[in-house]
Amino acid sequence: MSAIRVDAKVVMLGKESVGKTSLVERYVHHRFLVGPYQNTIGAAFVAKPIQVGEKVITLGIWDTAGSERYEAMSRIYYRGARAAIVCYDLTDSSSFQRARFWVKELQNCEEHCKIYLCGTKNDLVSGDRSLRQIDYHDAQDFAEEIGAQHFETSSKTGNNVDELFQKVAEDYNSSAFEYMTEETSVDLGQKKDSYFYSCCHNN
Amino acid sequence: MSQRTERRGIHVDQSDLLCKKGCGYYGNAAWQGLCSKCWREEYQRVRQKQIQDDWALAEKLQREEEAAYASSHGAQTQSHTQSTAPQTHPGHTSLGPFSKFEEKKTNEKTRKVTTVKKFFSPSSRTAPKKETQEVRTTSPSLSRHASFETDQVSKDFVDFLKNLQKPGREIHKQCRAFIVNMSGKKDLGADELSECVQDFYQSMADRLMSHYKGSSESVEQVMDQVEKYIMTRLYKSVFCPETTDDEKKDLATQKRIRALHWVTIQMLCVSMDEEIPEVSENVVKAITDIIEMDSKRVPRDKLGCITRCSKHIFSAIRITKNEPASADDFLPALIYIVLKANPPRLQSNIQYITRFCNPSRLMTGEDGYYFTNLCCAAAFIEKLDAQSLNLSPEEFERYMSGQASPRINSSDADWPGAGQTPDVVATNPVLAQLNHNLELLSSLNSRQETVMEAAQSLQADLLSWPQAVKREVQEILEKYPLQILPRTVSAIDANNMDNENLPPPLTPQVFAG
Repeated sequence: MSAIRVDAKVVMLGKESVGKTSLVERYVHHRFLVGPYQNTIGAAFVAKPIQVGEKVITLGIWDTAGSERYEAMSRIYYRGARAAIVCYDLTDSSSFQRARFWVKELQNCEEHCKIYLCGTKNDLVSGDRSLRQIDYHDAQDFAEEIGAQHFETSSKTGNNVDELFQKVAEDYNSSAFEYMTEETSVDLGQKKDSYFYSCCHNN
Repeated sequence: MSQRTERRGIHVDQSDLLCKKGCGYYGNAAWQGLCSKCWREEYQRVRQKQIQDDWALAEKLQREEEAAYASSHGAQTQSHTQSTAPQTHPGHTSLGPFSKFEEKKTNEKTRKVTTVKKFFSPSSRTAPKKETQEVRTTSPSLSRHASFETDQVSKDFVDFLKNLQKPGREIHKQCRAFIVNMSGKKDLGADELSECVQDFYQSMADRLMSHYKGSSESVEQVMDQVEKYIMTRLYKSVFCPETTDDEKKDLATQKRIRALHWVTIQMLCVSMDEEIPEVSENVVKAITDIIEMDSKRVPRDKLGCITRCSKHIFSAIRITKNEPASADDFLPALIYIVLKANPPRLQSNIQYITRFCNPSRLMTGEDGYYFTNLCCAAAFIEKLDAQSLNLSPEEFERYMSGQASPRINSSDADWPGAGQTPDVVATNPVLAQLNHNLELLSSLNSRQETVMEAAQSLQADLLSWPQAVKREVQEILEKYPLQILPRTVSAIDANNMDNENLPPPLTPQVFAG
């Protein structure tokens, strides 16, 4: 069985072909390949250990199917998630509308889930400014409104990718302390976190 | 017995009405034809014997129990059996010392018992025995069903804990206590049961962490064993319990999947090409794995089946697409596999895993990911409609009602769906495989015929060969008939006339030196 113990669940949300899988692929394997590549069996689930200060946090990164036909099921995916990276394509305004939809869903259903707004394919926009359909400041405003972090990344060049995931891990690390101290609810997810926290402590 | 009373209504025989013991009083059918006095005596006698038998049986079982478990946890088992034994004992013995004072009170009760009993078993001995057995099975130390699997798991668990010495004993004690506790809670709803188990996992993990200072890996290991042990023992009572409608959902899902048999790989936009033999091999393996899930008892093993199934799907997609599969490829493929496999008791299994799996595994890890996808697949299938298959509602209706099938339609251009699935027949992997197999079979057939012909000619050759040899021998014999000539030569010297003219034979000479 999967031997790797995972500390936090991170879901990737976003419309089809915004580059969720590429983002993960870039981050985990440090590559962006256009043509056929076959070193990994699948990029749908990845467990990635990240150094945060003294500790190592393992993020379980869940890729999700972005197609609209599975929209009704997306709630099953982000149940218990600690963080959600909501992706949109900088060159596709409809993908940003979809991102808004997911943000709303998350706010309704998973209040403990931190949201990271991520504009992808930054390399395309910096090459040709006319391609940009989502203004940086619009997205930034929206992020502030919902209390989310905002990143613009490029999986092709690797720009901002590591920073995004590092931030996710750091935020998880600091929030783990909070949950530890204010454990009042009987939510199973929270209990589990205290469990993981304490084991890290023993190490 | 009831038949007898009926018959008596038609033809009443005076002797039938009297007590069968012949004491002169009237008997009663409810007392097996005895009068009240004789019945009481008779009943007590049988009852006493029964109690004795039961006790003998109980002691025998207890001895076996102790013998089997003495090595690992003798002290506990004994304390259990001893504590349970007195519970069954007083129930029976209160009937034993039968003072006349008590007689009236209990009489009513016993009669009720026996009349009910009578309907089920004519010999009043077997029924109570069963009762006591039932009592025994609910008693903790004996709740072990005779199943081999459970025994094996218990043994493994004990073996595993032996390595842990003192904490191991403690863990075992707690697990047993928990199982005992759970067996008393059979009437609770599934959610409460789930909560009990989850609480137990949690407190066990906490204890291991704080008391025994285990590393996270070893705690995980112990927890896996604990889960395996507990859930194997509880499986029968908590899987698809009667208090829930799991079974109904199972049937609904099964029916639904059957009704969706016509869904093709193209409709789901699955990127798997089953014509590639390697891919279809993986598909078959994935289907086998997902079906196998139902046969496992431990939630973790069930998850393992799902994970294996998913890995096969990933391989299949990778072979087809030549690149790693993303969730966009994986989920449709999983849906397709579930539709093809129609795994038994899918909903029950999902519910069971959700309720009783160790949450740390379920919520975050890789197994959890695949399980979540399976939940999605099940949800998708449940809600599947025309839109989710890119079909028009009419088409969907037609397919669902069985009036049309995308595979047959495709040749018929009049159907609106024909345009979307024109090459289904050509690409249908099953048909292709079938044709391929037929070809193989026919070539095999012809080859076999050749072999048969060759064999027959060989047989004919073999049969004719000895004849030919015989004939040849005969010919030669005829050609050169055997002539036995008179023996003329006897001695070489006899013929030699010039013997005297020959020089004398050489004599050996000795040379000196």
